[in-house]
Amino acid sequence: MDGLVGLEIEQRREVVIARVTGELDVAGAEGMGDRIAAAVPTSARGLVVDFTELEFIDSSGIAMLFELARKLGGRRQELRVAAPAGEPVARVLEIVEFHRAAPVFGDVESAVSDI
Amino acid sequence: MPEFFDLRVKARSLAYLFAAGAGLGLLTLAVPHDPAIEELEVIVVVAIAAAIAVVGFAFADRLREWQLQLALAAGTLLLTFGNYYVGESTLYPLLYSWTALYAFSFFTLRVALAHVALLGVCYAALLAIQDPTSPAARWLLAVGAPLVIGLLVSRLLMRLGLEVQRTEEHQTALRQREARTRLVLDTSPDAFVTTDRDGIIVTWNRAAERMFGWSASEAIGTPMRALIIPPEFRDRTDRRHQAMIDTEGAVSTELFDAEYQRRDGSRFPGEATVAKVVVGEEVLVSGFLHDVSERRRRQEERDALLRAQAAQAEAERVTELVSGMQLLVDAALASRSLDDIVADLVARVRDVLDADAATIFLAEEDEQLRIGASSLGTPPDEVDPFPFGDGFAGRVAQRRQPLLAQSPDPADLGDPGMRALDVDSLIGVPLLADAEVTGVLVACASPPRRFTADDLSLLRLAADRVGLAISHARLYERERRIAETLQRSLLPENLPRLPGLGVAARYLPAQDDADVGGDWYDVIPIGGGSVGLVMGDIAGKGLEAASMVGRLRSALRAYALEGHDPAKVVDKLNRLVWTESERSQMATLLYVVVDPAEGVVRWVNAGHPPPLILDGDGAPRYLEGGSSVPLGVLPFPSFRERTAELAPGSTILLYTDGLVETPGAHIDDGMARLASLVRDGPEDPEALCDHIVGALVPAQGTSDDVALLGLRNVPMSDRFTVQLASAPEALSSMRSLLRRWLRHVGAGDQEIADITTACGEAATNAIEHAGPVGGRPFEVSGRLLGGEVQLAVRDFGAWRDPRDGDQGRGLSLMRALMDTVEVAPAPDGTTIWMRHQLREIGRQGGPE
Repeated sequence: MDGLVGLEIEQRREVVIARVTGELDVAGAEGMGDRIAAAVPTSARGLVVDFTELEFIDSSGIAMLFELARKLGGRRQELRVAAPAGEPVARVLEIVEFHRAAPVFGDVESAVSDI
Repeated sequence: MPEFFDLRVKARSLAYLFAAGAGLGLLTLAVPHDPAIEELEVIVVVAIAAAIAVVGFAFADRLREWQLQLALAAGTLLLTFGNYYVGESTLYPLLYSWTALYAFSFFTLRVALAHVALLGVCYAALLAIQDPTSPAARWLLAVGAPLVIGLLVSRLLMRLGLEVQRTEEHQTALRQREARTRLVLDTSPDAFVTTDRDGIIVTWNRAAERMFGWSASEAIGTPMRALIIPPEFRDRTDRRHQAMIDTEGAVSTELFDAEYQRRDGSRFPGEATVAKVVVGEEVLVSGFLHDVSERRRRQEERDALLRAQAAQAEAERVTELVSGMQLLVDAALASRSLDDIVADLVARVRDVLDADAATIFLAEEDEQLRIGASSLGTPPDEVDPFPFGDGFAGRVAQRRQPLLAQSPDPADLGDPGMRALDVDSLIGVPLLADAEVTGVLVACASPPRRFTADDLSLLRLAADRVGLAISHARLYERERRIAETLQRSLLPENLPRLPGLGVAARYLPAQDDADVGGDWYDVIPIGGGSVGLVMGDIAGKGLEAASMVGRLRSALRAYALEGHDPAKVVDKLNRLVWTESERSQMATLLYVVVDPAEGVVRWVNAGHPPPLILDGDGAPRYLEGGSSVPLGVLPFPSFRERTAELAPGSTILLYTDGLVETPGAHIDDGMARLASLVRDGPEDPEALCDHIVGALVPAQGTSDDVALLGLRNVPMSDRFTVQLASAPEALSSMRSLLRRWLRHVGAGDQEIADITTACGEAATNAIEHAGPVGGRPFEVSGRLLGGEVQLAVRDFGAWRDPRDGDQGRGLSLMRALMDTVEVAPAPDGTTIWMRHQLREIGRQGGPE
């Protein structure tokens, strides 16, 4: 795994929070989706992908996110994304109209409480 | 006429003549004589002649030639005029002839003629006075007669005189010889005894007197057997004596060992050199008797001394051998390479054993022997490995016993170099370690040196320890190989390509130290365009140090990539060293995080020499602050992070103490030297490293490891081109470079993020084109033209149509983020052109 991107999983009651840090490009996105998905037990109601400390995302990261949304949707689990508005990551999410797949919030707590 | 007589004889003769003359004069007075003779005058003449005779006798030894001549002349005148007075003129010729005779006999011809002439003048004058009637006849008589008579008689006399003189000389010589012989005999330390045919002593010298206690007068005339021979040896002496007498021939010499008896009855061992001497009818037996008791005693003393010396020499040799063996063992036990050890050993064995050559054969794992080292310099690969049991060395290995061989078969010599020597004695011992044969030590010697059982047992004593040492050395070699491999694997083989940064490193292991050192360095891209630079030095060497470097390196990478602050990273490392190292291990470490985009460095220094920064303005400075204790010293030291500017164009240099520390010089001097080298050195880090190493590291190598790491923050212009590996890992580097450049040309944060994202998509595309195994590098170039950023991402792969999904999303992202995007596919690759007009005001303003 590329050292530029970090992943922390936090189990919070029925919600799993996956904190992705650093820069997420094709080098880091590979396999990350599977690992996040694996960290979400079927008992959980949903997943919050925390991009608040992510500095960069490219189309590979977006692809991973869409794939995650598809998987969770298949399991009837909710997906929320936290990305502060105005930051590069939020801007990219905006451009690719990710909100069509899952809601995007400016902070983690709003995202968690939305599930 | 030669002179035959010495002056003494001449003087005496003349003295006799004058004495005779004086006697004749007295006789003249005694007999009735002519009354005309004046008696008084005769008495005067007689007195003068007598005086001359007395003087002649008294000073015969001291008279000189001229004095004799004067005396002869005086005598001539005396006789002549004496005769005149006497009046017996008939005696003239007789007297005249006597004078001539003496003159001719004693003097040279010229002198003799002068005398004769003088006499002739005298006679002629006298004759003329006496009878003037026939002067001619008288002249004839006066001159002729003495000449003829003088010559003839003098010749006759000379013969006679010579004979007499020879006899005299002979007798004198004989007397002298006798005196000398006596002197020799008397001063001889050996007794000289002569007996006649009946064994009666006839000669007995002083030494004999001293030796036996009998005086010569007591001994001479006594039978020798009774005097000096102990009773039980007398018969034997008699037999020897008789045998000497009976031996044919005049002279025979024999040497006897005998025992003699002194006057007081004491006895001594003697040696006699006995000779039979036949003189006419007489048969004598003479012998030198020598007291050999002193010689025997000395001989015994010398023998004892020689034995003692031999014993001491042997003892010293053994001691030397033992200490030599100790040296061997010391040499063997020193931690050095196996090749060095065996090469040293063979030389020492050769010297210690006083051998011609020595060879060490090393055992391979399959019971084969090969040459490890030869004092003759035989290359190890000259002989193929041979099995145990082959040749002399093979037998030693097979029997696991020391062997000693004399006059060996040359074919048995495993070292071909030895075959050229005249090998007479061969010694071999197995080198054992833990009951395993690790090798065989063989030494050879040529005559007269022969190895003995002592040599063997001593060599055997050393062999066990040497065997152990070789086994250790082999283990050590293995460990060293592992450590070397490990360390090589720990140092970055290729430094990461960091666009916009120039990085170079050098690692120079210590030359005279076979051990692997503990210097290490690393370059870690840690995201966001930052780079971590690491320079460390582990106290200690070898495998342990190398494995410690390995653990530190991987731990540091992990901590750095986790995004910890430098101080936290170093703190965690300290915890690792403190808790994990089995025994107290110490490591210095310098960790520098370079953020080229911000133009700053943050560093933490754990007991390491400070980094050096060279700014564009050319004033190098050491970053002295923030230094703390090395890792592993304290459980909770406080590592403080410091910050310094690293403006574009500046260089930061990290190094280990081996670079600035030279024996005998202060480290400050080394650091000052380094600073001046960097100031005057080239900008490019590779060239700078070469410059520094060339100046500070001696050609023959260093005594300590040297590691050097330089990073230059390459200044930006309004255009850039960079080639990047077609691998996902390159994307991060590209983004950090691009961000720096965009900031440099005045883009705002939003624009930087947008353009970077778009360019990242283009680059991802290029990597995709290169295929899964990578391929040729792709190229990113950019320029600022009229406030517009123009980027080109060019690959050399095959264009793939964007599939639905990812790639299509990438392209739409680019289009959304940039003003224009053009994709230009071509057979040899694809170029994506992108433009973006800058609208925001960047932090750093426009291009310089």
